Amino acid sequence: MLSFLRRSYLNFSFMNPQYCCLSRNFSAALPPLLPVQLPSRMETHLWYVVPDEVKSAPLLSKYMELLPQSERDHVLGFRGDQLQKSALLARTLVRTTIARYQVDGHLDPRSLRFKRNIHGKPEVEWETKDGFCPPPLQFNISHTSSLVACGVTINSLIGIDVEEKRRRTKNNILAFAKRYFTAHEVEHLNAIPDSELQQQEFIKLWTLKEAYVKALGKGFSSSPFNTFTIRASSGIAVETLDSPQNLTNNWQFALLELMGSHYVAICLERQETGGAGKTLPIKLTARKTIPFVEDELVSGTNAVVTIGGSVTQF
Amino acid sequence: MASITRASVSMPSLSTSVNQSQRRISVMNSVSFPVSGRSMIPSLRLQRGLQVCCAAKQETVDKVVAIVKKQLALPADAAVTGESKFAALGADSLDTVEIVMGLEEEFDITVEEESAQSITTVQEAADMIEKLVEK
Repeated sequence: MLSFLRRSYLNFSFMNPQYCCLSRNFSAALPPLLPVQLPSRMETHLWYVVPDEVKSAPLLSKYMELLPQSERDHVLGFRGDQLQKSALLARTLVRTTIARYQVDGHLDPRSLRFKRNIHGKPEVEWETKDGFCPPPLQFNISHTSSLVACGVTINSLIGIDVEEKRRRTKNNILAFAKRYFTAHEVEHLNAIPDSELQQQEFIKLWTLKEAYVKALGKGFSSSPFNTFTIRASSGIAVETLDSPQNLTNNWQFALLELMGSHYVAICLERQETGGAGKTLPIKLTARKTIPFVEDELVSGTNAVVTIGGSVTQF
Repeated sequence: MASITRASVSMPSLSTSVNQSQRRISVMNSVSFPVSGRSMIPSLRLQRGLQVCCAAKQETVDKVVAIVKKQLALPADAAVTGESKFAALGADSLDTVEIVMGLEEEFDITVEEESAQSITTVQEAADMIEKLVEK
């Protein structure tokens, strides 16, 4: 039975079968998930996985077994090894992370059900048993082939977007911005003489705008990118075209540079102010993880650098 | 070529319900194909009788395929058909917007953001283009 399982892993083409020195034997059952405490009302948890660091074929196979058939089909529908792997890790990260918060008293990532709200935003569908009132856990996922991330809050709507710093657009940046961004943003990009910096600013703007739309949860078409401006001079704020005089105070942003290679934009619904309309910084806990294997607290280290917005890392 | 053969042989087992671990393993065995297991025949004309007369539609689809391949840096011989979903090919939201921008330039049309979100496959893009070009 075990050797049969091992042979089958080699055919899962996105798994690297050359990982021979497993410190844990994943032919057996997965170890239990370690529980974590829910974030407090003022906190944001950021979890991320680096796909290149997950090399164990048996482990990836076990991840696949956590998913319902519909999600497995979805993962396998992606074209090619890398895309399938990051899609698998995204589903695994969201299921294991939410399970670890033990909201319903147990830790089974398989039993989580997800639904979409009327606008298509994914949400957890909690079992409603006997007066059980699930806490208002909010989450959002983003992934590229090189990074998979999940943000979690209690109560605060959240949107996150990740992108490689060196991501290049096929179209000319200014042509693209003129078509899809606001005039202010075009001006901001146009004023950057260095093309490399301009590219990076574009990616930062893109991730911030994506994070905002994802936090709103209504989809790209209900908040077209040219209907709101992200201003990132001192702090980051969003200004919608229909109320240009009022910076939309409901949302706060963080922009992080992760591992020197990725931008992570986080948009949060503002919960409380520090009195007199002052915004409290985002309290961020960031952990790099390989589900069932290890966690590393990375907030406050070089791995997570705040490059925009008001953030306290701990 | 061998991998395509494997794909076409293994397609039926994808729909097998996988309750027992052994059957689950056999599905895993059969699904590792590097190219889509869908139709390998690029021309939709033979597949969809309704479109036999409409050479423009095929040409539109071909142009969309070319733009998608360029945006996603796919090899020229990658199997991309009308059914192909942008996301499955590796397009994220930025790629999708760039693809739409490429289509706007190629066909001299303007795609409203509301419509852009509903384009998820090559065929949907081609159909939308045809509608806009007719106007």
